[in-house]
Amino acid sequence: MNTSDTLECGHSLAELSAYLDTGQIADPVHVETCPECQAGLASLRHLSELGRELLSSDVAEAGSGTDDWMQSILDNLRLELRPGRSIPLQSGNPQDTLWETEGSISALIRSVADALPGTAAGKCRLHGDVTTPGADITVEVEIAVVYGHPMEERAAALRQELAETLAVQTELTIQAINITVTDVLEPPHPASPADATTEEQP
Amino acid sequence: MTGSPAAQHQLDLVPDALLAGRAADGDTAAFEALARRHGPLMRATARRLTGSLADADDVVQETLVQAWKQLDGLRDPAAVKGWLLRIVGSRSIDHLRKRRHHADLGTVENAVDPDSRPKNKDPETNAVNSSRIEALKAALAKLPEEQRRCWVLKEFNDQSYEEIALTLNISPASVRGRLARARITLARTMEEWR
Amino acid sequence: MTEPMDVGAAAPASASAASADLGILAEQLLGVVQSVEGVSSVYPAQPLWQSIAGAVLSVVTGDTPALITLTDEAGVLAVKTRIAVGTSRPAPAVAREVAEAVRRHLLPRPAAVDVSVVKVGV
Repeated sequence: MNTSDTLECGHSLAELSAYLDTGQIADPVHVETCPECQAGLASLRHLSELGRELLSSDVAEAGSGTDDWMQSILDNLRLELRPGRSIPLQSGNPQDTLWETEGSISALIRSVADALPGTAAGKCRLHGDVTTPGADITVEVEIAVVYGHPMEERAAALRQELAETLAVQTELTIQAINITVTDVLEPPHPASPADATTEEQP
Repeated sequence: MTGSPAAQHQLDLVPDALLAGRAADGDTAAFEALARRHGPLMRATARRLTGSLADADDVVQETLVQAWKQLDGLRDPAAVKGWLLRIVGSRSIDHLRKRRHHADLGTVENAVDPDSRPKNKDPETNAVNSSRIEALKAALAKLPEEQRRCWVLKEFNDQSYEEIALTLNISPASVRGRLARARITLARTMEEWR
Repeated sequence: MTEPMDVGAAAPASASAASADLGILAEQLLGVVQSVEGVSSVYPAQPLWQSIAGAVLSVVTGDTPALITLTDEAGVLAVKTRIAVGTSRPAPAVAREVAEAVRRHLLPRPAAVDVSVVKVGV
């Protein structure tokens, strides 16, 4: 390649660089037939290819999203994620104030749903005044069921499991646990972001 | 198939758009699944932009904090990956600015680890393959900072000139010019590796 | 969150000797909280990232934020802690036991203990 940015034919490598990204250039017919331009484009394309190789090498070196580096980032993040309302707990001493965060209970509900074979949690809400001890609370959970699992049976199993867990881990007065199946998931095969057809509308 | 491995796997089946929607709704597990899915690319990008892996992790962390706070404003949940990468871009730039504020670390990012320099032009194909990547890394590290940023945002994240311009706070015309200069320099260096 | 307390008087009792004492006490209390069965971890009493700038600072300096905060409020020691609890025991019982253990450790000093369960389960 030349030391100058401008080729013998008068076009510049800067123009070819932009052409590579946008497909636009003043004189496309010339570019198609000019050996200088074609050589310049080939060189730039080769560089792009190397760039993609560097990217895959860097991504491979970055490790998996399930590795420790990401786990420690996520552990830190949890502290920042919306804690929600503070749910009071009975204390043994009037001077003390004890709480569970709403976020901790929602996460618990989701983990129960996620741990049940064939189901994954979606939205989860505690309706009612959780900040007042003894107030009636309704739990709303949306779940996705993996294709092939009977929905009614999965929902009933989850309702039972949640009632038991919430009775042990909270002091909430649960009036009802409403479970809605909002999605059916394909059985395991790698999902691509382009498959986003099952998205629900709010 | 019981316990959390199955749950992990089930969330891995859920497409980006659905996870982003759930995360915007306050679902931390969905947000974490997104973070795991795109974490490696975010980390790789931040590393090339900041020049170090330690900085890259700080950037990924800050990016996720910001993403969590701003998820409500994401109009197209299916575009969450590009959106995350744009935040990585601006946080990386901010990160360098802040570090400069603390101390003059201007030389750090251009320093090349001695081990990562191309050692020789070993004819063995394996060696050639990895050493041309090393050569590109070294050439990239020698580029003026703004040029390198433009190149990384374009080639790693496929951002448009307008998006890069917003991230770097320069005009799209400057992006076009800097990207071209970066490519010309890099292409010349890499000609011998064809 | 600490309704029974006079929040306006939340400043530590000035003297640096006193604050050093509080630092040692906070460390002891951390051990007390961690040894309660069912407590799986103790989080910084103040959320780590009140702001992004704060996160940068703590990353750069490597400072670890206080896990237990202690404030002397008109002679009553206000203790604040945020904990994660496993599922082996009921979370409310664990929270009560944490408060009681802290109170017992501080005797005969009067204390008001604030315990937040921010995570239940693994």
